[in-house]
Amino acid sequence: MNKELEHSFVTQIEENQNIVHKICRLYTNDSEAHNDLFQEITIQLWRAYPKFRGDSKFSTWMYRVALNTAITLYRKSKRTIKTQDFEGVSFKISSEPYDDTTEQQLKLMYRAVKDLNDIDKALVFLYLEDKNYKEISETLGISEVNARVKMNRIKGKLKSILNP
Amino acid sequence: MDELELLKKQWQSREQDLPHLSFNDIYKMLLKRSSSIVKWIFYISIAEIIFWTILSFLVPESNTKFNNDIGINNTLIVVNILNYSVFGVFIYLFYKNYRKISITDSVKELMQNILRARKTVKYFVIYNVTATALLLICVNFYYYLNQDIVFKYIVEDFGLSNVTQERFMSMFFLSQILIGTVLIVLILLFYRIIYGILMKRLYKNYKELEKIEL
Repeated sequence: MNKELEHSFVTQIEENQNIVHKICRLYTNDSEAHNDLFQEITIQLWRAYPKFRGDSKFSTWMYRVALNTAITLYRKSKRTIKTQDFEGVSFKISSEPYDDTTEQQLKLMYRAVKDLNDIDKALVFLYLEDKNYKEISETLGISEVNARVKMNRIKGKLKSILNP
Repeated sequence: MDELELLKKQWQSREQDLPHLSFNDIYKMLLKRSSSIVKWIFYISIAEIIFWTILSFLVPESNTKFNNDIGINNTLIVVNILNYSVFGVFIYLFYKNYRKISITDSVKELMQNILRARKTVKYFVIYNVTATALLLICVNFYYYLNQDIVFKYIVEDFGLSNVTQERFMSMFFLSQILIGTVLIVLILLFYRIIYGILMKRLYKNYKELEKIEL
């Protein structure tokens, strides 16, 4: 293996690892599975790396490979019971004063997103990552119009989960 | 503001809570082996192709002599040549489809390509099961029409002597039907179990994607 290639690859993964961690958080329920998926995504990225031309941003390319791995390639080794892992996720930022209701709402929201099916989750994830509909549609392989329509439906769905 | 916008606003600022892996942690991962579903599908497909190829070669010597005696050996040779040509086509198609699977495609394309590669192998097995069943039926039909000759050579080639022709023939056909049925049931069961487990999630997600496009 080419040492230089390995080095530049690992450096780029290290810099952009948050993207992968966020996907792992959404698609797995415990830290073991999280690490497992992270590893599989890294392996898949590494395999595809020689084909990465640099004509798109490394992070853009990463979204695609990482989501493909999470949705299609990754085999959940065991069906774990949904743990309350998201309870530990804190939405607080120190600079802004926070009231409990907002914090509570965010937790509920995150839980509702986690409960979506794999495809809807990918859509919401890209939306939360501030990707435009063109990018979302290209990553998933659906049309832009349909991505927009679907996203609006998911928003409605989430709303009805939170305000029954 | 709706709740999703609220979540979006906080989404990026949450990053400090995420785990952080060091250069070495990530570097070590490069040496690990993948356990992706494509790899499993590939291994199982190869195993299936090898299994069916070997199976078609596994004809006992006595059987060849017996087929020769009753005069269907030449027909069987032609059938075999045809069979291997079809094998070749299937193996080529599978290889081509498998090469097409690329992680850098869109989610939908990736799924389509995996399903296509898998479908080739599925058709390969369907072809094999059907061809085996058809051959079994044809050969048995031929045996049925020529019971006297079949019995004569069975006694000669396999050294049977203490059964009557009528009793032997009914046992003979019964066991052929039984073995054939058991074989087909086993194959179907294998399919339901292995691919049920492996492909369920992929099919489900693919259907979800298709639904969006409706």
